[in-house]
Amino acid sequence: MGTWISALRSERIKLGRSQIMLLAVIDPVLCAVIGLLTSVGSGEEAWAGLMLAMVVLHAMLFLPIMTGIFSAYVCRYEHAGGGWKQILSLPVSRSALYFSKLLVVMGTLALNQLLFFIAIVGVGALKGYDLALIPWGDFGIKLIGGFIACLPLAALQLFVSTMWSSFAAPLVLNVIFTIPNILIANSATYGPYYPWAQPMLVMMQAGGEYDFGAFGLPIESLLITVGGSFVLFLAAGLTYFNRKPV
Amino acid sequence: MIGKLLAADLLKMRRTGIWWVVFIGPVGLAAMQALNFGLRYDYLVYDAYAGDAWGGLIESTGLFVPIAIYLAMTLLMSMIANIENRQNSWKQTLALPVRRSQVFASKFLSCLIQLLVACALLSGSTLILGLALKFDGPIPYLDLLTSGLYPMLAALPLLGVMLWLTLTVRNQAIPIALGITASLVSVFGASLPHALPLSWPGFVAHGQQTLTFVGLGIAVFIVLYLLGSLHFSRKDVA
Repeated sequence: MGTWISALRSERIKLGRSQIMLLAVIDPVLCAVIGLLTSVGSGEEAWAGLMLAMVVLHAMLFLPIMTGIFSAYVCRYEHAGGGWKQILSLPVSRSALYFSKLLVVMGTLALNQLLFFIAIVGVGALKGYDLALIPWGDFGIKLIGGFIACLPLAALQLFVSTMWSSFAAPLVLNVIFTIPNILIANSATYGPYYPWAQPMLVMMQAGGEYDFGAFGLPIESLLITVGGSFVLFLAAGLTYFNRKPV
Repeated sequence: MIGKLLAADLLKMRRTGIWWVVFIGPVGLAAMQALNFGLRYDYLVYDAYAGDAWGGLIESTGLFVPIAIYLAMTLLMSMIANIENRQNSWKQTLALPVRRSQVFASKFLSCLIQLLVACALLSGSTLILGLALKFDGPIPYLDLLTSGLYPMLAALPLLGVMLWLTLTVRNQAIPIALGITASLVSVFGASLPHALPLSWPGFVAHGQQTLTFVGLGIAVFIVLYLLGSLHFSRKDVA
């Protein structure tokens, strides 16, 4: 545990002054622009409508792809200039190192979600919606659910990011599996089992008759896919990393 | 000289996975349409695109062509730049008796070759998919050939930006994040203003004012290419 916290601190130092925070800002800013450009009704439905308008780009494409970029980013220093040799020769277990990297990715993702929430509230406030009407419960479930739904992708991307030294290579894999989201959203048969579509399915549930395709599933069935793929990807990544020749 | 440089660059790209990306992109697009058509064959062939199945196939592939091309440009250029970045070999390459503008041109040409191969593969795999689904009617060879090529030409401005960024910025996360962001925004191309180059391949893929946007794309690219080449020729090598 002690070494794990030290590893975590060294990760934080390595990421200090890097542009990873800048990357976490891109997505909320773009979604805010979309939110400002769309006009949704006023009154009680306004906040939910704004969320729905802003969440499409965010949950369908940005969140899965940003997960890949963050994961590739935390491995960048080690791939550049033989960093793996140096860090693995320290008295720190490989699992501890792996978990500290995963936790950093998770932290950045959480920050991304938080910034997205701030973007929604900011756009709503600019448009003059009543701040007292913010559906905290609904927003909270969606933001936390979307964050959890990204964890399997973070585990998979960290796995391939430790494996491939090029920054772009893991992202190729990430992008190839994320783009079909556009089609898979419509499919009630395949959507629930496709890990890359889970953030979208969790965050875009509108309730009532607005749900189509794979939307509107009970949250439990989504979490089975999320939990299952997380365990699978994490186990594969840890096994690989513990045996990786440096 | 440029021929030798290009040959050297293509040699360096062996066993780096770059050609896999060139192969997987178009084949993946066709596989996605195979699933799309395979699962809803009756609806798509006899209802949505009744009478023009080939046109329907090309149109529904075309929805994904702009974003695929943008992503390919970003990732391929980053992988090409990564060859030099990883081995710290910019110094060595540029110490050779070649002009820097020629090194820049050779990186561009190798990416262009890969993109052209990807376009040809897209046409080929779409043709095979159409034949496998036993579509009626004459095969629209010309439309198949241009379905990848024209959007690619209209998307060239992003390649101009990517050439400049990936070859001059050492931290590849910055150009990649920008390129991917641009690609994702291009999904909503139809609702973007015409003046934004990002939306051009989307219009071309839908057959709107094809040649205008192709010409504009090439023109903007030439300007960006010259600017990038100029900066690359003068910058300090670390």
